[in-house]
This record gives sequence, C-alpha cells and structure tokens, in this order.
Amino acid sequence: MFDRDIWQEIFNTIKKNKLRTFLTGFSVGWAIFILVMLLASVNGMQNGFYSQFNDDATNSIIVRPGTTSEAYAGFEAGRRVQFKNNDIEFIEKSFPEDFVEISGRYYANTVARYKAETGTYSVQAVHPDHQIIEKTIVISGRFINEADHVNKAKVAVIGRKVAEDLFDKEDPIGQFAEFNGLPFKIIGVFIDEGDDNAERRIYAPISTYQRIYGNTNDINVILLTYNPNYDLTKALEFSDKLETIMKRRHKVAPEDQAGIRVWNYAEAFDDISSFTSVLKAIGIGVGFLILIAGIVGIGNIMVFTIKERTKEIGIRKALGARPNQIVNLVLLESIFITALSGFIGLLFAWGILAIFGPMFNTPAFTNPNVSASTVITATIVLIIAGVLAGLIPALKASNVKPIVALSDK
Amino acid sequence: MIEIKDLHKSYKMGSNSLHVLKGINFNVEEGELVAIMGSSGSGKSTLLNILGMLDGADSGEYYLDGVPIKDLSEKKAAQYRNKFLGFVFQSFNLINYKSALENVALPLYYQKVGRRERQDKALNYLDRVGLKEWATHLPSELSGGQKQRVAIARAMAAEPKVLLADEPTGALDSKTSYEVMDLIQKINDDGNTILVVTHEKDIAHMCKRIVHLRDGVIVEDTKIEQVRAQEYV
Repeated sequence: MFDRDIWQEIFNTIKKNKLRTFLTGFSVGWAIFILVMLLASVNGMQNGFYSQFNDDATNSIIVRPGTTSEAYAGFEAGRRVQFKNNDIEFIEKSFPEDFVEISGRYYANTVARYKAETGTYSVQAVHPDHQIIEKTIVISGRFINEADHVNKAKVAVIGRKVAEDLFDKEDPIGQFAEFNGLPFKIIGVFIDEGDDNAERRIYAPISTYQRIYGNTNDINVILLTYNPNYDLTKALEFSDKLETIMKRRHKVAPEDQAGIRVWNYAEAFDDISSFTSVLKAIGIGVGFLILIAGIVGIGNIMVFTIKERTKEIGIRKALGARPNQIVNLVLLESIFITALSGFIGLLFAWGILAIFGPMFNTPAFTNPNVSASTVITATIVLIIAGVLAGLIPALKASNVKPIVALSDK
Repeated sequence: MIEIKDLHKSYKMGSNSLHVLKGINFNVEEGELVAIMGSSGSGKSTLLNILGMLDGADSGEYYLDGVPIKDLSEKKAAQYRNKFLGFVFQSFNLINYKSALENVALPLYYQKVGRRERQDKALNYLDRVGLKEWATHLPSELSGGQKQRVAIARAMAAEPKVLLADEPTGALDSKTSYEVMDLIQKINDDGNTILVVTHEKDIAHMCKRIVHLRDGVIVEDTKIEQVRAQEYV
C-alpha cells in the first residue's frame, strides 16, 4: 500500500487525465460538501431550539389552573380552578422525594414611580425558589429571600430595562420606588439573556402581594423543579402523578385537559430531540443518495480507465503481475481519488461553517457546525466509497486474460 | 528445458470448433535457439501462447524445466511466467508512460526485488542492449529498433529460463531486424534458451533449429547451420 511504485503509477494516470479526474473527484467532493452542510444545518436548528429553552431550568414543571371543560364530581363544566397557598404545601408534603425547588407565582400589574419617572410594569410575585427555577441572573443586589417572604417585606427585584427607565444612571439598589403608591425597596436588578420583555418585569415576594391585594392566598401558577437525577421516564412519571393528584384535589375530571395543565420541560426536550434526530436522519439519507451518485461516477470512470488500459494490464500479467496486484492498483487509485476529493469537499464545508457559522444566531438557527465525529465518519465513508467505486472495475481488470489484452491493438 | 507431448488446442467459433493444434510433440534443450515457422493459421502463435502460459491447452502434457504446467491458477501462472519466461512481442508492448529504465525494471518489481537493486539491474540490462544513455526516455522518444531492444532487455531482466519472441522483427525494417537478431544471438551465446516465432526465412535461418508448422502439426524439424546476423549489420 505504501509502495512508491504504486503511487507513482497512480499519479501518472491522474496526471495524464487531469480533466477526467477532476470531474469525477468533483462529484464526490460535492456530495461530501452537501452531506456536511446538511448535518451542520440540522445542528444549527438543534442549537437554535435548545438556546430558547436554556433560559429556564430544564428540569422544571409548570402547573397551571384553568377552566374545567367537563362536569365532574357534582360540579358543572366551566368552573374556574383556583390554586391557593395550601396547594404548594400539599405538593411539598406529597412529593418530598421528587421536587427540589417550588414556587408559586401571582400576577399583578403596577404603576411604578421613582422621582419624576413612571412606568407600568408586570409584577410576578413569587417565592424565593423562583430564581433557581427560572434561572434568573441577578447582576446587582440579591433576589428575594426567605426572610422577605416571612416578613411580607415590601421589596422588589427589577429587570434591567425597569432600572434603566426609572433610575437612569442612578444605582437602584437600596432606593425606594412607589408601586401603586406603596413604597418598595429595590433589592436587586436582574437580566434575562435573549428576552428584553422579561427585563421589563418586577419580582416581589408573593406573601407581600397577597396581603396588599385583599389578604388572599390565591396563586396563579405553581412552578417546581424535580430531582435532576431523574431520567425522562421518571420525570414524566412524576409529572403524570402530580397531574393526577392535583386534579383529584381540585375535583377535575382525570381526562380534562383544560382544568389543570401540567407542563414538563422534559417533554418538550423529548419532542425536540426526536424532531432533530428525524431531520438528521433525513440529512444523512439525502447526503448518502448524492454520495452514491458520486460513487457511481467514479466507478464509471474507473471502468473506462480499465478498458483503456486493458493492454497495459495484459503486459503486466505477461511480466508476472498477480491478479491481486492488479486489483490493488485499481482500488488504490479509486480510493485515492475519492478520499482526496472528498477531503477537499469536507475542508471546504468546514471552512465555510467556521467563517459563516457563528454569524447565524436566530432562534431557529444558531451556529451551524459539525462535530469531530461527523468528520471522522465522513472520512470512513469516503474510504468505503472509494473501495466500492473501484471494486467492480478492479475485478474486471484482474479478469483480463493476458492473451486477449495483448491482441487488443 | 521444454517438453511437449501430444498437445491439442481448439477454439470455439460460435457453433463450430476450430482445431488449431492437432497433437504437437516437441522438445527443446537448454541453450537452443529455435525458430518456429509457419504461415498464418498454422498454429504457431497458439503454440507460443500455450508455451508462454498465456493460454491453456485442451489436452497433452507440457513440462517447463521439469515442472508440469497444467490447470494453473491465475496466481500460479503469474508466478511461473515471472520466474520462467521472458516475452518479446511484435508490437514491443512497452508501457508508454514509463521510461525505458522503468519498463525494464517492471518484471523485477513483480519479483519483489528492492527498488535500488531493481534500478541497478535494469540499468545493467539496458547497457547490454546498448541503450544506457536512453534510460530516462519514454518509449515514444525511441525508434522501433530501440523499443524492441528495450523489450528484450525487459524480458532478460527477470533472468528467465526461456525467452519467447513472437515475431520480434515483424514491425521492423530489415536492417533493424538484423540488429535485433544479432542481439538475440548474443543472448543465446550466453547460454539462454530462446524460441522465436517468425514467418521470415532469413530470420529463421539465424536460429540453430527450425520447426515448421502446418495446419496444427509439425511437418518438419531440422537443425541448421546458423547464419550470424553480425554479417549483415
């Protein structure tokens, strides 16, 4: 294989047939180029999808109450389900092993004023655990803590946009802003990457808001995270059980999808990964079909080359070349052309991705790239392709009868 | 060196079968220079192809240096060809993209001789046919006579037991033909066994023995007084 003479001959034939070699090589190079680009595009879509979800803890579950759609347990359809503080306590007690963080969320709106600046913002009144569940990044100050919650403290964590609007260049930490006329102390500023609207939001302790708004203990949404060691099946099992128990507690029919909705991020991830794996399979399939066209092209050219070189093969045989030496010669030439042109296609695709890939940063398409394993697989595929392309011509060549070849003038 | 007993060969031509060799009996001793003569269709080329293991016989026995040549696999045939036989063809059959030296070195390559030794040997043989200065030239840059001399050097490079020449002068003018025959005679003088197929009388008379073929049988087999080609050069 590493015989200088064989390579010398391969280079000789290639040199003699530059255009032909280029045309065949091009088809394989192009096929590999498309294959790599397709796989990179699928990767880009996957990256785009995941980056949208990375914002929240990936092991989170959201439980939302709704309006029942069917009559159940003596209640008519159309009843609004309302969560209360004791629902959280109930979940905490029912699933001590399964959940890690839990938080209620109470929605409100407020007109906030600081000095001359005012603005209307949405308030999410939450428990301290909410920071971890939503992966809220606090850039200065702190988030709501247990003491704030117990004391029903009038404190608030504001989004960066809120801070810019109300406080301009002033440091908002420690300042008091009026929310609907009540003074709230600003204890922190948070950011949310990729979502400006989230930064127009204000967090406050849920206990504070429940007291301000008529001493209720209503909760709009319950958020929780489950044990991160759970795999998909266990996570889904948990959210199913949670749904069943919450429905039973609120007298919602078990099959009523509108009464209480439990949304598990794991499900979404499962959907996305199966979606992208289907896309990937399609990408590989299409790429391979194109590659086959390239292989057939090389095979075709090799058959032609053998036909042209019949006499030469006859001479070699007369001089004592064994059939497998002839096979080797043809196979190596085929592998060489395939591998070389494939590599050029691969490098070309890689270069384009390296230069232009990072420019893509949209929610649906982020940084398309190829992994090292893809490149290695492509290389192996190329060598196999070369063998396949050369196999039939090589066998044809080795079957050339020296006597027939020599009389072929 | 060569022993042939009752050799038969026929070719299928559609539904007919053409009986080309009809029982050849024929021996060649070491060091002989034999001319095989006959008109076209007499079976002389077929005989040479069977002798050269390029084609198989239908029946009969063939021993080359005491080794029975029968039912050879492709691989075995290749080995025997490489070890026992050197070929010289009418149309030279040099590989056109290889230099004279590389052409001569090719059988040595198939003998698995190392690269350096191969080059040295090939150059030595080119020197013996008087073409040392042409070593790096491609066949297209050589005259017909030079090409045939390169082909002879190539056939000799493997140090075969028998040299088979199929109309070696068929494509050459008479002057060049005699030069080539002179070379063949010199190689024979060194003790090499050579078979020359020809239909030219003058060429045949430069050998030491003439075998006449007609319609697939040997009709005449005589030892003759050799005419030295040197006289005509």
